[in-house]
Amino acid sequence: MIRIINSTRPWPGGRPGPARRPPLPFGPVVFAALVAAWWLASVLELAPPFLLPAPDVVFATARDLALDGTLFRHLQVSLLRIAAGFLGATAIALPLAVAFGLWPAFARSLDPLVEFLRHVPPLALIPLLILWLGIGEAQKLAVIILAAFFPIFLNAGTGIAQCDPKLVEVGRVCGLGRAAIVRRIVLPAALPAILVGLRLGFGYSWRALVGAELIAASSGLGYMIVNAENLARTDIVIVGILAIGLLGVALDRVGRILARRMAPWIRSELDLGRA
Amino acid sequence: MLEVAGLRKVYDVAGRTVAALDGVTLALPGGSFTAVVGRSGCGKTTLLRLLAGLEDPTGGAIRRSSDRGEPIGVVFQEPRLMPWLTVNDNVALGVAGRLEERAAAERVGSALALVGLGAFAAARPDQLSGGMAQRVAVARALAIGAEIVLMDEPFGALDAFTRRTLQRELVEIWRAKRPTILFVTHDVEEAALLAERVLVMEAGRLIDDVAVDRPHPRSPIDPALLAVRERVLAAVTGAPEPVLA
Repeated sequence: MIRIINSTRPWPGGRPGPARRPPLPFGPVVFAALVAAWWLASVLELAPPFLLPAPDVVFATARDLALDGTLFRHLQVSLLRIAAGFLGATAIALPLAVAFGLWPAFARSLDPLVEFLRHVPPLALIPLLILWLGIGEAQKLAVIILAAFFPIFLNAGTGIAQCDPKLVEVGRVCGLGRAAIVRRIVLPAALPAILVGLRLGFGYSWRALVGAELIAASSGLGYMIVNAENLARTDIVIVGILAIGLLGVALDRVGRILARRMAPWIRSELDLGRA
Repeated sequence: MLEVAGLRKVYDVAGRTVAALDGVTLALPGGSFTAVVGRSGCGKTTLLRLLAGLEDPTGGAIRRSSDRGEPIGVVFQEPRLMPWLTVNDNVALGVAGRLEERAAAERVGSALALVGLGAFAAARPDQLSGGMAQRVAVARALAIGAEIVLMDEPFGALDAFTRRTLQRELVEIWRAKRPTILFVTHDVEEAALLAERVLVMEAGRLIDDVAVDRPHPRSPIDPALLAVRERVLAAVTGAPEPVLA
């Protein structure tokens, strides 16, 4: 049997092959199927409406929360906390990863402390942080920084350590100094790993933020969810969860687009960093 | 002029001391084209790495006369291009910051023109063929204004057709610019085809020094080159090779 493997036109004298179909959009299909299953479960009353409100009820609640500004107020607070914490974690983790990569003695002396902190979940530190920093913004910022720090630091460190020594040799034979080699060769070579770390760190900081807001906060999406739980408003709880998930997906997509535009030579590496 | 006296390099391999270079002495006159041939592991690449300053010798000395501080250009077996830089920026790697902007751009432009890649200045390395990428590597070594260019089997990974084209281009560049070239290869025919002089290495030592007094362009079936090939092979293997002619 003869089969055309790849062609832009039919084989001369042969029958035209089947037209290429565009790939099915499985992502949205799966999402729509889940909503349909949810809707069916609520219509068939498989769970009491108190525990699983129908999709139309949840969407109506989302519309009301959006129109009266409640949803965006909480969203804005959470986003500001994320931005501050994530930027803080990045500002600490990246220079430290470079220092670890450049000065092994420095890395050896700080490594035990870093390893110790790495194994302590940030949420386990919340009681201590509340005692030290109170229940204000500083405590939430600290939780986000602790959560985002390690993915960024460890991935950047790995990227720097795995920089191809052959490329560093090119820098040396081109007469570049140590600082120029780091700036022009090591950091660009480590960029795929750094971007993966930033994506993971962003996901982790988002999770940690909601955790911190669930425990001690008077605003933010986490607070909105826990407050709704206390009021037995499952529909608002689900709106909060949907808002967190959709915002996370949207911000991650924006990050990937920016990364591809800034670093067009990176392709598959970016997909490794799905948080 | 690049001079090497009693150069030694010893490695510790699994507790055993291995002499990769065992007292190499040679002089490369300015503007000369010298090839170094020998078996794999005979010390050719180690010699080149010491000359390039990528490793320190265990003993001996390397001296450059009229050293004005220019880096020594090196072309490796693989192109080693930075994937995040365009062809132009790869070639400019050793120039940017050392020359003023306009002079650097001119230097890079003329190096790219010399290897026939002026139209590909904006391309990325992943858009180039193997031969084009190796041309960029040659341009990078030339752009830094190196009077000495060290080449470590630069065409070893290329197909026969591309290799022959690049060999011709390299000879043209050498005749036009007259850098001092040290060309490491395990291909005896390539050494005889390109160089004015072929140094034969065995077990970390130079065992023969063969002059190739033939004008360019050369033919690989030139009897004089076949005689060079036979002499080199005999020096390394200890037995004369039959010449097919």
